[in-house]
Amino acid sequence: MSMNDPIARGLASGWNVVDARKLTQNQTVEADVVVIGTGAGGGTTAEILSKQGLSIILVEEGGLYYQKDFKMDEQTAYATLYQEGMSRTTADGAISILQGRCVGGSTTVNWTSSFRTPDQTLNYWSQKFGLEGFAPDVMAPWFQGREERHNMAPWMTPPNLNNDILRQGCDALGYSWKTIPRNVNGCWNSGYCGVGCPTNAKLGSLMTTIPGALDNQAQMFHGLRAERLVMKQDRIDHLQATAMGSDGVTPSGVTVTLKANHFVVAASAIGSPGLLLRSDLPDPHNRVGKRSFIHPVSATVARMPAKVEPFYGAPQSIYSDEFNFKNGHDGPIGYKLEVPPLHPGMAAGVVPGHGQQQRDNLGQLPWLQSVIALLRDGFHPESPGGTVSLRDDGSPALDYPMTDYLWKGIRQSYLDMAEIQFAAGAEAVQAIHMDAAWHTSWKEAKAAINELPMKPHRARIFTAHQMGGCGMGSNPEESVVNGFGEHHHVANLSIHDASIFPTSIGANPQLSVYALAARNSVRLAQKLAAKS
Amino acid sequence: MLDQPTHSAENTPQLSRRSFLKTGVGGALFLGTVSMTAGLSGCATAPAGRISAVDSRMDAGYQFKFLSKDDIALFEALLPAMFVGALPEDPSERQFEMAATIERIDQGIVQFGAPNQKELRKLFDLLNFAPTRILLARVWSDWPSVTTKEADAFLNRWRDSSIGLLNNGYIALTKISNVAFYGHENQWHLSGYPGPPVWMMDALPQFKNA
Repeated sequence: MSMNDPIARGLASGWNVVDARKLTQNQTVEADVVVIGTGAGGGTTAEILSKQGLSIILVEEGGLYYQKDFKMDEQTAYATLYQEGMSRTTADGAISILQGRCVGGSTTVNWTSSFRTPDQTLNYWSQKFGLEGFAPDVMAPWFQGREERHNMAPWMTPPNLNNDILRQGCDALGYSWKTIPRNVNGCWNSGYCGVGCPTNAKLGSLMTTIPGALDNQAQMFHGLRAERLVMKQDRIDHLQATAMGSDGVTPSGVTVTLKANHFVVAASAIGSPGLLLRSDLPDPHNRVGKRSFIHPVSATVARMPAKVEPFYGAPQSIYSDEFNFKNGHDGPIGYKLEVPPLHPGMAAGVVPGHGQQQRDNLGQLPWLQSVIALLRDGFHPESPGGTVSLRDDGSPALDYPMTDYLWKGIRQSYLDMAEIQFAAGAEAVQAIHMDAAWHTSWKEAKAAINELPMKPHRARIFTAHQMGGCGMGSNPEESVVNGFGEHHHVANLSIHDASIFPTSIGANPQLSVYALAARNSVRLAQKLAAKS
Repeated sequence: MLDQPTHSAENTPQLSRRSFLKTGVGGALFLGTVSMTAGLSGCATAPAGRISAVDSRMDAGYQFKFLSKDDIALFEALLPAMFVGALPEDPSERQFEMAATIERIDQGIVQFGAPNQKELRKLFDLLNFAPTRILLARVWSDWPSVTTKEADAFLNRWRDSSIGLLNNGYIALTKISNVAFYGHENQWHLSGYPGPPVWMMDALPQFKNA
């Protein structure tokens, strides 16, 4: 393997990394801080704390995959890098959940879009949840610091045609659009962000904070599932963890006990509430797992006269916030418009169908273009979010009921996206909906979309952004942690991931997670230093 | 994806059954019962393991970890309908692609993990257990005797059903099959996907000595 790869080089230099799938005996380990999760939140936390001289153990359920494994192959990537082998859905099966399960978490498979938390969202949090220190100008340095750490900057290369069509359509209709900032360095513009960056250009946790932490003597276990936080009196004493077997998903029976002074949970908006619920931690107001948000995603697909090749080129480079905040927080739901890459496996899985029709649709793939709407859930009373609870086997599941308010937004988003695609010259447009057909004019599409049934299992809804479930707030009756991610009821527990967001973000959340985790880790490091 | 959405409810007499299935909990309990009954009644619910080449026309080297012999028969009946116009015409090539797709479905499901495997076990048992196959799928013969036309009609019924649980079953069956089939290199030509850029594979270290 090339020694230009930072992970291969680090492992060769003696990083303390344990593949728990290879453990044959139970063991107990100890550190100042145990960090559960290696995504945007866990990686940031581990790097900052380890640089302060604290001993850190990172725990990751997924495997350590890096450049040697990233061969631009969808099937391998979905099986190894995504939660439940890309089959994760909401409890009723109606919403597909795209989420990473590997070292680096979702930052290893995301499409690199790097937005600051919108001012409107920060101001809403300050007003509604009694949170101090979230004013946009106070948060700005934290965003700036993380933008530097992850090399985030607007993408200066011309967008691929898939993204440019969104720009063209917005221009034609007088809608606003902008260039997306991306966390890349020396990007080859190939389009394979979603299957693990093959060139190490993407600066997610895997290429930045994880190596940073390991260089500072952090230890990392991968293939190790955090099972339960065990309390002794009013503090967490240890984490009980289960090693995965050789397939990476079935427990081997080997357990690891991890003792620490402080525990940071960063296991995602589904994993973190799941761990807290399994651990039966104090939750006097029954808040854990509540107010879970997902940016429900709707999609339309267009057939263009020219080849789009939606599988090549930086997957996301143009967005429109034309519809995101125009109705404020009290009106109809807002949404951000973006573009997804379309590879054959993903396209064939996302568009449910069979037979000649499916074959004909996929046969047009090089000419297909798609727009997605990310609904800004959690701001309106009729968008209270979903609930994470435990299945019989202790694994977490998200129940996310779609309300009429959300369905209205889904229908309106189909209309706006179809109009934009026709304005950009689409020959035909179809909503990703079980009852939708191709339409060759905006007028015809509009009439048909207005008749589509807005029901679970008919409209195809997706989420790539899981947020909430351990919401922050000043009032312990309404939240799980305070504005610094500190648990309201357990002194040596913090939560540093997207689960603490009290609403959705209204933009791709990775920078929001990085920035909040950095801010809260700097504070945690000070507190832990003061004690010792 | 539909030209003319139809609703099977019109020709489904058992209204009480419909309302029963509409509730997620009722549906889940019902599937749970089927799974247990299927196991007790001798349906092949155990992983098929290594199947002899003669027996199944599969690659004898592959060890099935999740799919049972009955599940394999189910997919052998469904795939010709799912991939009509997409599977090769040549009988031996066709058989190879079918077998390879079913193996990839098995590999994929292993990575789904225990909770989703449990859900799929219920779905497959429901489709393999004659009483529920007839009642819910309205497929009268066992899968090895089902024609491509009948398999297509079954898929259409579940796709167009007004019962969310059956739509969900359709989506599960087609999604795992579509990803396993169209996502594989051998089928990329069907979607006009040229594959990863050759210049990248030539330049990147992970493709050396592969």
